[in-house]
Amino acid sequence: MDQQDSRLDDPLRRKLLIGAGGAAALSLQELMWPGAADAATPKRGGKFVYTNTYPNNRIGDARTGRHPHHWLDLNNRSAYNALTWVDEKLEVQPELATAWEPSADMKVWDVTLREGVSFHDGREMTADDVVSSFKFHQTSTSYAKQITGVEKTGRLKVRMTLDSPNSEFPYILAEYHLMIMPAAAPDVIGLSGIGTGPFKIMELDPKRRIILARHDAYWRKGYPYLDTLEVVGSPGRMESALNGFRGNVFDAVLGVDPGLLPDLQRTPDLKYDLSTSGDQAVMVIPKHEGTPFNDKRVRQALALAIDREKIMRIVYGANAGWVGNDTHLTTANASFLPRPTKRDVAKAKALLAEAGHPKGITLPTFYFSATWPEIPRVFQVLAESVKEAGITLPIEQRPSDGYRQWRVEDAEKTRKHRFAYTPSGPRNPGVSLYRMRPDNNEAGYWSGPGCDEYMALYQQSLAERAPDKRRTLYVRMQHILQDEVPIISPVGRRNMLIHKPNVQGLRNHSQFWSIRFDEVWKS
Amino acid sequence: MIVTLLRRIGLSALTLLLASLLVFMATEVLPGDALEVSLTADELALMSEADLARKRQQLGLDRPAATRYVEWLGNAVRGDFGTTIIGKGQVTDIIREPVKNSLLLGAVAALVAIPVALLLGIAAAYWRGRWPDTLASMGAIIGYSIPEFASGNLLVLMFAIWLPLFPAVILAFADASPAALLAVSVLPVATVVFGSVAHLVQLVRTGLIEALASDFVERARFTGLPEMRLILRHALPAAIIPALNSAALYVAGLLSGIVVVEKVFAYPGLGMILIQAVDKREVAVVQAVSLLAAVAVVSMNLLADLAVIALDPRARSR
Repeated sequence: MDQQDSRLDDPLRRKLLIGAGGAAALSLQELMWPGAADAATPKRGGKFVYTNTYPNNRIGDARTGRHPHHWLDLNNRSAYNALTWVDEKLEVQPELATAWEPSADMKVWDVTLREGVSFHDGREMTADDVVSSFKFHQTSTSYAKQITGVEKTGRLKVRMTLDSPNSEFPYILAEYHLMIMPAAAPDVIGLSGIGTGPFKIMELDPKRRIILARHDAYWRKGYPYLDTLEVVGSPGRMESALNGFRGNVFDAVLGVDPGLLPDLQRTPDLKYDLSTSGDQAVMVIPKHEGTPFNDKRVRQALALAIDREKIMRIVYGANAGWVGNDTHLTTANASFLPRPTKRDVAKAKALLAEAGHPKGITLPTFYFSATWPEIPRVFQVLAESVKEAGITLPIEQRPSDGYRQWRVEDAEKTRKHRFAYTPSGPRNPGVSLYRMRPDNNEAGYWSGPGCDEYMALYQQSLAERAPDKRRTLYVRMQHILQDEVPIISPVGRRNMLIHKPNVQGLRNHSQFWSIRFDEVWKS
Repeated sequence: MIVTLLRRIGLSALTLLLASLLVFMATEVLPGDALEVSLTADELALMSEADLARKRQQLGLDRPAATRYVEWLGNAVRGDFGTTIIGKGQVTDIIREPVKNSLLLGAVAALVAIPVALLLGIAAAYWRGRWPDTLASMGAIIGYSIPEFASGNLLVLMFAIWLPLFPAVILAFADASPAALLAVSVLPVATVVFGSVAHLVQLVRTGLIEALASDFVERARFTGLPEMRLILRHALPAAIIPALNSAALYVAGLLSGIVVVEKVFAYPGLGMILIQAVDKREVAVVQAVSLLAAVAVVSMNLLADLAVIALDPRARSR
């Protein structure tokens, strides 16, 4: 599993190719549209100020606020790197690791580290730093819970042992908490704010603003372009963020409500970028005793009755959202399997009649909280659309405070879960499909032969070395979910960012925590 | 007078204790806790209920509320507001600079608003029923009826976007110097002043009209004193004494306006800290900020009482 990443490392080569192959075209372009030619040649230097409105529940909690566990996730990759990175197509790419090799049982992973990586203080990164960082992560984040051992096997070689096979372990290494910090004791590691990332922390007010300067010895030669990167936190303060953008305080705003797109499109001097996919709205369907959802046909009828296209049209203005496939996978996943049938009201009615509800059915109240501003609209349109199939779906918005606790009710005592919404982020199939394990309350206590087969396939996929074979297993698992309907994921949102027209190289990402600012420059 | 004074101080202490209890109870009845809000839905999906319970125990969230309250109150009396739940940061460190910044915003707003309100109030009372009065009264009604978030955004639109004179949001660090902070805070100050001056204008106007119609002012007028001197030396002090308690409440009320203004402009004050702390269920921070707000209100009232006692001989005998 040797990884090729010359694409990442060599902007000079890319520029030379552009220069040689497109010289004539470029000259013509320059003559006709000088501004456009300007925009194609990356310019070094300058300051880029962005704000993000994503909620940040941790920033500034560490003693200095510099620790990567206490940074807003999407800021992490400006100052730190992980061993791997998930690209915009949700494919894993090398970052501080250049190669990884699993054992035959997929439980032991040998990781080769990149040569010549230096921390912001000039010290070279070695296996000791990775071991030390992971010793800390093991005790501090659920993403590293599966790692039972981490040891140095060479100056730039590390071995990680897992509690069970995981063929997609390299994706785990890209998680935003698992950043590499200079080796230190667990109680002080990371507090210096020193990483290997493209920018180093200069000034910090953890609750408000971070100023970062270019790391000249960054391992991606030639990057970053910017001299200064400034991050301003506006959690939940969309109005203030947009005021700052319109008043030219910010060059970009991340985490803009996609529902604002029609209004923003009328704003002059504004460009927007939508990611391929993003978080999705999952309907958790309880299958405990006494609920009509115990009957699979009722679940199938509900899934068939939902007018997903209408939700897309009304809530997301057609292109700021995506249609879910009733699994936790997103359209950005290569293995994503669209639902075979879009909407079939007649079939939904027939299924209900078969299930003993010929005159339609009134379902239990469905609860949601406004995790994102458009969520209430999503479920209003959804509830309206299923009426056509004779389904009455009462809906109720709950406060965000303590929503999760309320949603899972007294999970420990009665294993009950409400018929309710939960958000789900876009990740690799190994993580996303794990969310349907029956002991996770999100699966709504799914059981039966379909569930057993699903879990058997899941275990098989974790131990499967060949990606194409894994993909076949993922497809089968999605078929099971679409037939059994233990959950419904009607729609998802595409992450939206807006920026000034002179901002170049800023690409949105389905995982907003994986956005990189290395290639951003201002024309 | 000393008895009156001691009684007032005792009542103030009791009010603070009740306020602290209310604040604590309010934060306790809110659903959810710091652990849950610090984790994303994706992280929570990877954790079992047992994992969550273990974490709660580590953070001390499983201890009875009464125990935590008594412990917190004991420490707060000694000036120690405790630590945050997730990061174990000292609350005092977190709120130190924002307290200074909010006081700065409040003080500057009051320094601008009070003279402006006096001027407008005097003009309105002096030219009662004529155009200056109509204008000041109308302005007061408008200022009173527009909430700060609306007037703040309006000012941003006018003076940061259409006419780019001032920054729409404040990027200054929380520990910026007062001069640096004030240099970029024209719009927040203007918003607070705009929202608060209206109430003061009405207070001064009403008080002054009453004083101008009183016998002692009439008598002074017969002695041939110039009208302006009559107002400034005789009517205004008499008008201000009854308005002092209302003015104290107004200054305390500035706090709520400041929270809104801080949110609109991202001003690095206590309001922002409070909003973040409520979001994050950082109970110790919420309690500290609320207690400080209660201290501000109680102290302002106490000061107003003392001023009335000092200025009005009748109050001393009550």
